[in-house]
Amino acid sequence: MKEGFRQAMAWLHTWAGLIFGWLLFAIFLTGTLAYFKDEISHWMQPEIPARSVPTETSLTLAQQYLEQRAANASRWIIDLPGAREPALSVRWQSAPAKPGERGQFTEKRLDPLSGAEVQGRDTQGGEFFYRFHFQLQMPYPWGRWLSTIAAMVMFVALISGIITHKKIFKDFFTFRPRKGQRSWLDGHNAVGVLVLPFHLMITYSSLVIFMTMVMPASILAAYKGDVQAFFSDVFPAANTAKVAGTPEPLLPLAPLLEKAREHWAGGSAGQVTVNNPGDTNASVVLTHNGTDRVVHEFGRAVTFSGVTGQLLAKTPEQSVPMAVAGSFYGLHMGRFADPVLRWLYFICGLASTAMIGTGLVIWLGKRQLKHAKSGVLPFELKLVEVLNIASMSGLVIAVAAFFWANRVLPVDMAERPQWEINSFFIAWGLSLLHAAWRRGRGAWVEQLALAALLFASVPLLNAVTTLHHLGNSLATGDWAMAGFDLACLGSGLFLGWAARKMQRAGQPEITGRNRQRSIPLEQEAH
Amino acid sequence: MLLAGLLCYGGFTALCLSMDRHHAELLGRKASIAERRRFKWAGWLLLGMSLWAAVSVAGWAFGLVQWCAVLMLSVLLLVMLMPYRRRMALSLAALSLLASPIAAYAVL
Repeated sequence: MKEGFRQAMAWLHTWAGLIFGWLLFAIFLTGTLAYFKDEISHWMQPEIPARSVPTETSLTLAQQYLEQRAANASRWIIDLPGAREPALSVRWQSAPAKPGERGQFTEKRLDPLSGAEVQGRDTQGGEFFYRFHFQLQMPYPWGRWLSTIAAMVMFVALISGIITHKKIFKDFFTFRPRKGQRSWLDGHNAVGVLVLPFHLMITYSSLVIFMTMVMPASILAAYKGDVQAFFSDVFPAANTAKVAGTPEPLLPLAPLLEKAREHWAGGSAGQVTVNNPGDTNASVVLTHNGTDRVVHEFGRAVTFSGVTGQLLAKTPEQSVPMAVAGSFYGLHMGRFADPVLRWLYFICGLASTAMIGTGLVIWLGKRQLKHAKSGVLPFELKLVEVLNIASMSGLVIAVAAFFWANRVLPVDMAERPQWEINSFFIAWGLSLLHAAWRRGRGAWVEQLALAALLFASVPLLNAVTTLHHLGNSLATGDWAMAGFDLACLGSGLFLGWAARKMQRAGQPEITGRNRQRSIPLEQEAH
Repeated sequence: MLLAGLLCYGGFTALCLSMDRHHAELLGRKASIAERRRFKWAGWLLLGMSLWAAVSVAGWAFGLVQWCAVLMLSVLLLVMLMPYRRRMALSLAALSLLASPIAAYAVL
């Protein structure tokens, strides 16, 4: 390959990576956390008990509850508890006052064993990370646009990185620690190359998910500008019959679960929607929970009559283009993953995050070398240093602050979910101020140490503020609760190790040795 | 997924040993050309077998996803272990090759 082209790609990789690196780090870290969104939500709402009861029992309880409380509603939506989501949630929409208007929704959580209402503390839970991952806490549609652009830049950075990397196969197994800049570059290359299939899959699929925003031209052309027609083709909404006005009792819903299973090759319903309950025209839509296959299918459902139990409709088999898009969607979200595969997804996500982080460190490290003698950094490098610290260790502190806020804020506080999110951003902002004030290695060490302390003490915090401490959760087999505590403890230990390493590396005799070794590297890496 | 993971780890270790620099680093001596060729064959064979193991246990859709996951993370583990715990990296490979027939017997 021509050297000029490779150099151009190296330039592109360097600058695309720097400008979007901080944002991409946040997107990847929160996205990685979102793989455990339900487990995080479970930890953040310890009042909602984890039970294992047959789905049929939960559905019967939900029906009894709704017949008592919401007999006149125009629609019921029942979210059944699954392996990861312990809550049985019921929502109902009151009949609209005027035709054409949308009725109000009410939501309640039920104990799937007793059918009694449970009041979990008000929180966004894991949903916060999931939403932040692609909306960046910005008003619609700006956050989505920004994350779409970030995904495109990520794709550019990956491709240009592959072209820039001269010895992919020769250096495939190479990682040389304790050698300063060289080790950072080795680490960046190792996580980049070894986990490359994941990086490419996750980045490309994000573009497919955002397809309607990124490439509306093809849709507008095919549907002659009628975007709504495209969406109704993609998501064929169940055409619900109008209310007849003649009351007719609703069938027991639980047996319909088995009938729905017969229509699907595997898996079962995750959501049950009842339109016009108690009317002759009642219909029951059972939506598949989508955990039995890799290819995601949008709105896969069967509809039965709520009075006779007759099959009314079934979503047709996926077309090939939809299956292709669905497979990217499915792979990105990983909803099908069992606990082991979910952990592997999580580790891959961390590897992507680490790749971005090491890249940012290398960018700065290479340029700092030139100013090593004078010890004074020009303004732009100082800025990059501060942003590096705040975007990496600062974000980790912010995540810990979010978890802490969930346990420390009073349960009946007004606008509680908002204050949890505020704590996240306040902690992040403070870490930026701290990084600007302290700068350099000192800031890294202090922030990493603080993050280590906050994470490692999460199990203790949980034990002090709730009854669901590790002894209890392990004994009762509440793996999501125990896993969260243990994962926090593990993260705390890792962060502590990183802080210590950072502090040791800062001692003068070691940096002196590193500096000598990394001089040839500087020429090599360019 | 366990069987595929064991085979992947063994396969990558063999491929690693087929390279001059890593062979010397791990085993402390130079490899002959015939030796390196044998390691290379063994490595690719084991990786191929791991794909077959993953797909035959979990089907194409799940099998391929699981295979990609263990493929990436087994080699990541190997590369991170090598500089710190050379012996452990090697004995883990030996262990995974020894354990794989048992795992195969359990799942196939």
